[in-house]
Amino acid sequence: MQLDALAEVFNVGAGRAASSISEIVGDEVKLSVPAIEVKQSAEISPGILSLNDGRFGTVRQDFSGPFDAAAMLLFSEDNALEIVRDMMGSQMSLDDLAEFEQEAMCELGNIILNACLSAMADMLSISLNSSLPCYTVASCDEILDQVTASAVQDYILLLNITLTSARRQSQGHLILLLSSASLTNLIRHIDHFLSEI
Amino acid sequence: MPDYILEDVFNAINLGLIVVDADYTVLLWNDWIARHAHIRQDDAIGRNLAGVFPEPLSPTFLSAMKNTLAYGLPTVLSNALHRSPLPLYDLAGQKIRLHQSITISPLLSQQGEQYCIIQVSDSTTSIKREKMLRSHSETLRREVSTDSLTGIYNRRFFDEHYEIAFHNAVRQKQSLSVFMIDIDYFKDYNDYYGHLSGDKVIKTVAQTLKATLSRGSDVIARFGGEEFVLILLDLTAEQAEKYAEKLKDAVFNLAIPHRNSPLFKQVTISIGLCTGIPSIEYDILSKADIALYRAKQEGRNRCIALPL
Repeated sequence: MQLDALAEVFNVGAGRAASSISEIVGDEVKLSVPAIEVKQSAEISPGILSLNDGRFGTVRQDFSGPFDAAAMLLFSEDNALEIVRDMMGSQMSLDDLAEFEQEAMCELGNIILNACLSAMADMLSISLNSSLPCYTVASCDEILDQVTASAVQDYILLLNITLTSARRQSQGHLILLLSSASLTNLIRHIDHFLSEI
Repeated sequence: MPDYILEDVFNAINLGLIVVDADYTVLLWNDWIARHAHIRQDDAIGRNLAGVFPEPLSPTFLSAMKNTLAYGLPTVLSNALHRSPLPLYDLAGQKIRLHQSITISPLLSQQGEQYCIIQVSDSTTSIKREKMLRSHSETLRREVSTDSLTGIYNRRFFDEHYEIAFHNAVRQKQSLSVFMIDIDYFKDYNDYYGHLSGDKVIKTVAQTLKATLSRGSDVIARFGGEEFVLILLDLTAEQAEKYAEKLKDAVFNLAIPHRNSPLFKQVTISIGLCTGIPSIEYDILSKADIALYRAKQEGRNRCIALPL
């Protein structure tokens, strides 16, 4: 029940992000969040994240408010480059992109994360603070280390994200790292929201 | 820290700073922004940000600012996707719009009022730096693989290329032709005409051999001293032998005098050739080298082909 409500929140966020991205790209882009799962940080593995080998572009924002969480958006490095290329128009080769990649991916992640967070803020009537987005390229192991190293964050919310443009469809993951206290608070806010419908 | 020092800091900083409140009224307008917008602080403070600039602001910038103020979440506008969201110009008076990277961060007053600070940095220099570094690294990459005397590929490039070509040929069961080429009696040429003239001969021969190549996959490199190596793909043994004859004739036809070359009295080359589908067991390179040795023994100015 709560997960369904949360999935709805994220789909609203995804819709907002899609319209912002479409505006920048000048072409229709769709974003959907087909599934949402809650896992314990300890049981996380490359298989669960369906991360294969290779490197991932990661945008991270730490946010705080009624509950604290770290939000990480992951795309495979190749995927990330292609998305950015689509966003920038095709006049640039992939080599030229390297210098712009970090900034543009940071913005793309920022759009998606902010849209999801603001949708959550709207529906749950809360307000959240957030750090600036930070972009890194990391291997799957390095990402898992980051996830499991934050011992206080016992839970992860795992969302698969599909970004569809006229040219391609890209799969990404949105991971929210939460402490058990924060998860309880989040659920409490969702319950409150559900009771008001 | 006293307020007046803080103001000096804002104005000294090499970054554009604008603070607006929830109604988009400008509260801070630092010197950097004043200089690049060509709008004085007094003409900006207290006015609506959209009204301060003579030109309209980009819709993405406005909606980013609106979102930051509404939700208290920071927003970034990358240079890659927006280039120049604000009408800011270079200082040279050329009216060239600055490439910008913008960060909009929310601020909350003690009374709970929402503000935001807009930080603008000039990306022009970093773009220039990136371009310069890229062109330097391209030059270096080219230099690392080029032989400085002849301008053809060097031994380092050849070793890497051979490794790749060899594995491709094994995998695709493709025929590989290796030509080992050596200038005949080169030591005698150097002794008689001097090293500078010797260098000239190496250069001319290299250019002559290179000029015979026609396909993108053909590679010639200086193997060492007066020795060259050529790799061609997909030739039959006969085609490869014909090609070797062509190489030998091309150098012969240069008719460079060589008094100490006993038979021909001019510069000639010997070629060892080996053609075949390579495999791990057979070393096509050393087979071509053996063929070259035989070409030397059998009188020079000739090509000897050995099967793999």
